[in-house]
Amino acid sequence: MNQSSIGRSLPRNDAPAKVTGRALYPGDIGRPGMLHMATLFAGRPHARIVGLDTAAAGAAAGVVAVLTAADVPVNEYGLQIKDQPVLVGPVSGKAGADVVRFVGDQVALVIAETEAQARAALRLIRVEWEDLPLVLAPEQAMQPGATQLHPHCADNIAYSYRIRKGDLNAGFGAADVVVEGVYRTPVQEHAYLQPEAGVAYIDEAGRITVEVAGQWTHADRKAIAHALDLPVEQVRVIYPAIGGAFGGREDMSVQITLALAAWRLAQRGVRRPVKTVWSREESIIGHGKRHAMTIHTRWGARRDGRLTAAEVRVVADGGAYMYTSDKVLGNTTLTCTGPYEIPHVAVDACAVYTNNVPGAAFRGFGGPQGHFAAESQMDRLAEALGMDPVELRLRNVLTDEKLLTTGTPIPGGVGLTETIIAAATAAGWTQDVAGHWQRPQTEWNADDADQTDGYDQTDNHNNHDHQRHQRSIASSIRRGIGFAAGFKNVGFSFGYQENSYARVELRGESEIEEATVYIAGADVGQGHHTVMAQAAAEALGIPFERVRMVTSDTARMGDAGSASASRLTYMAGNAVRGAAEAALARWRNEDRPATAEHVFLAPKTTRLDHDGQGLPNFAYGYVAQACQVAVDMDTGEVHVERFISADDVGKALNPQQVTGQIEGAVVQALGYALMEDWRTRDGQVLTNRLSTYLIPTVLDIPARLDPVIVEVPDPNGPWGARGMAEMPYLPAAAAVCAAVYDATRVRFTEFPLTSERVWRGLHEPTG
Amino acid sequence: MNHTIHFTVNGEPFTLSVASHHTLLQVLREQLVLTGVKNGCEAGECGACTVLMNGEPVNSCLVLAPEADGATIVTVEGLAHDSQLDPLQEAFVAAGATQCGFCTPGILINSRALLDRNPDPTDAEIRAALVGNLCRCTGYIRIIDAVKAAAHAQREVQP
Repeated sequence: MNQSSIGRSLPRNDAPAKVTGRALYPGDIGRPGMLHMATLFAGRPHARIVGLDTAAAGAAAGVVAVLTAADVPVNEYGLQIKDQPVLVGPVSGKAGADVVRFVGDQVALVIAETEAQARAALRLIRVEWEDLPLVLAPEQAMQPGATQLHPHCADNIAYSYRIRKGDLNAGFGAADVVVEGVYRTPVQEHAYLQPEAGVAYIDEAGRITVEVAGQWTHADRKAIAHALDLPVEQVRVIYPAIGGAFGGREDMSVQITLALAAWRLAQRGVRRPVKTVWSREESIIGHGKRHAMTIHTRWGARRDGRLTAAEVRVVADGGAYMYTSDKVLGNTTLTCTGPYEIPHVAVDACAVYTNNVPGAAFRGFGGPQGHFAAESQMDRLAEALGMDPVELRLRNVLTDEKLLTTGTPIPGGVGLTETIIAAATAAGWTQDVAGHWQRPQTEWNADDADQTDGYDQTDNHNNHDHQRHQRSIASSIRRGIGFAAGFKNVGFSFGYQENSYARVELRGESEIEEATVYIAGADVGQGHHTVMAQAAAEALGIPFERVRMVTSDTARMGDAGSASASRLTYMAGNAVRGAAEAALARWRNEDRPATAEHVFLAPKTTRLDHDGQGLPNFAYGYVAQACQVAVDMDTGEVHVERFISADDVGKALNPQQVTGQIEGAVVQALGYALMEDWRTRDGQVLTNRLSTYLIPTVLDIPARLDPVIVEVPDPNGPWGARGMAEMPYLPAAAAVCAAVYDATRVRFTEFPLTSERVWRGLHEPTG
Repeated sequence: MNHTIHFTVNGEPFTLSVASHHTLLQVLREQLVLTGVKNGCEAGECGACTVLMNGEPVNSCLVLAPEADGATIVTVEGLAHDSQLDPLQEAFVAAGATQCGFCTPGILINSRALLDRNPDPTDAEIRAALVGNLCRCTGYIRIIDAVKAAAHAQREVQP
């Protein structure tokens, strides 16, 4: 008998190529006769182009072509609505395509023999600008009379949601305590290590082919075909190795412009490949960001801790174009009341167009913002009620029987209670004789952390406040612990019929010697192709080593859907399992080779009605986290000494990769919470380098990070697996702020908690 | 203006005509097609382009090509010998220390430099050595584990 291929930490099938330098990323690809493309970015946040002169650039040394808006057949794109021009210019078939709406709008493409020649020629393009008034603050953009950025919507409101459940007045009437807060969450840059790049050419079948790093091959193909006004069959998209994504590659970067270049050149008789590589600065202004949001919220609870009411108002900065703002906002709408049952709820959320870099998909997809407000409110309620934060959560947490704010039960296998207990237990919480949860009475041993305060860790006072007080006399360091929990959907929501395609081909005679899996899903670094090989091996009962993967090429396989919404293990895993089982049936029927394809359809969801009621999602993942911080009261520095993340993943198909996702998500979320400080001035990005936009280095990670895998099976996931890669991100900022409050008694409702912000919070009295 | 440089890359001698304003990174990637050396920022901020120059790790994007004249360079492509992976490469595969993998070559090179001068580094020494290499995927935990495992494996072979 073969050993099972799932539940094992098998080494990644892409790792040997990645550690030897053989793995080719888009910027590493070379083809004979290749030309190089450079892009002219707007550099202005809001302006009309009244004149564009490319004659000098076109005549420059080495230049083969200059392309502008006039060269784009259908000059529009956008994943949700097509509100963004491919190229902005005065001559375009598309109304409104003469206006740039953020600094990263693209104006012209220069294709030349060398990259240096292409970039030099960019400087010869003459643009005549008419600057337009800037719309930068969402609250102002929503006011009547504000400058309108798009013709299709009023007051710059790109999208809005409304939830009405129960009777809000009755809910607050029943409350013994009410807490209110205004929370502000920052923009975050993805900062994947591989800047945008790609190569386009005409393949042997005459297809315009783009090799690029994206998150959804078939969506890229569709966007290219639309802009070029071609049937999708004439476009081919291939993903080589992808250097990180995190949501930042969902929207188009170089896909359409590269395809346009190869196609226009071919029409002019120049059948040469075209390559482009964005610089780090171009990457940072050129792709979308995590949405900044402002969340006003008021919650009520009874003395026994039961939540009675929540009122929430969310304003998200959508930036210049829609990207996926409508869907991101939908997730914030669902998560801004936390993973709890609340009988009376009103939520009003809107995403607003501004002249900032577009808000886009980023790990957690609106969930981190919603959870920051919700979990900070829970921490406030716990204090107001004099109740332990874990105890308060367990009294309200969603279970299989309870209803979401959308009036429907959460799909089965809800592992929230288990994750909360797992995180709390790992952090030292205990139950008293009455079964009530109580926080750890001593601090964690922080022996890996800097011990600069000389505090005796063996000092064992029972009273936490007393202990903290004793400490503050001894040094400037104060420690605190925080707790937070979260949940998020797996897969696409709100009535979209989720689907995923896979094909499996079996070769051999008496036994299966080789199984080939054809799957389009993007391995953005999360290990998707390894886990799909494990899924096939398990379904076929063959060793993992006999599975060969053919991946991410629209010419060779159907649509597996996006590498987003923590969906690929669940969706593509079911597709691979279905195809493998069907192929195995044919194999047993003596088919040689035995081939089968399978399209997995997820359970149906619905759009929300006028009151926000409906069944938005078919699956969820769950998380609970605890952390200990040390705050230097003199400098405002916050160190996370220990971080615990318990994640219900349903079934860990590859525990090592699951652990890697938890660790990576937590560190990314700690960057968001503590240090990543996006700055703009008048619509210009000031932090357009990795030396000004600081992400965590190896010295910025917690001294100790403990992932805890919880496995409550999802009833429809492959082998019980549910999606998990976003969930460890969700409540981290709230857990850190709760810990900082515990340490300092200063509540931060805005982050990142840079030393400067913390110091000001500690030393400057708030109005 | 062009310079002629003589240098050794991954054990092989080369004589190249290089543009005087080009970086070592450009020469390695474009002229020698050693694309395992990654370009993440071209400003010494991310560490993805790290190579060994005369045994010391350098950001190849900050070295002008003529400065490499006479130097001995090792890139990620030169870590394995006769298809035998470096203990670090084996440890990175086994530990799951690579996710997207774009930072991996630079981190492997920097780790090699560390183990060459310190075969038994502490956690703190590993962290200090890798502070110039950004990774956005892994949270660094598995990378530290892999370097420790490689150091251990290397000591087993060469006590």
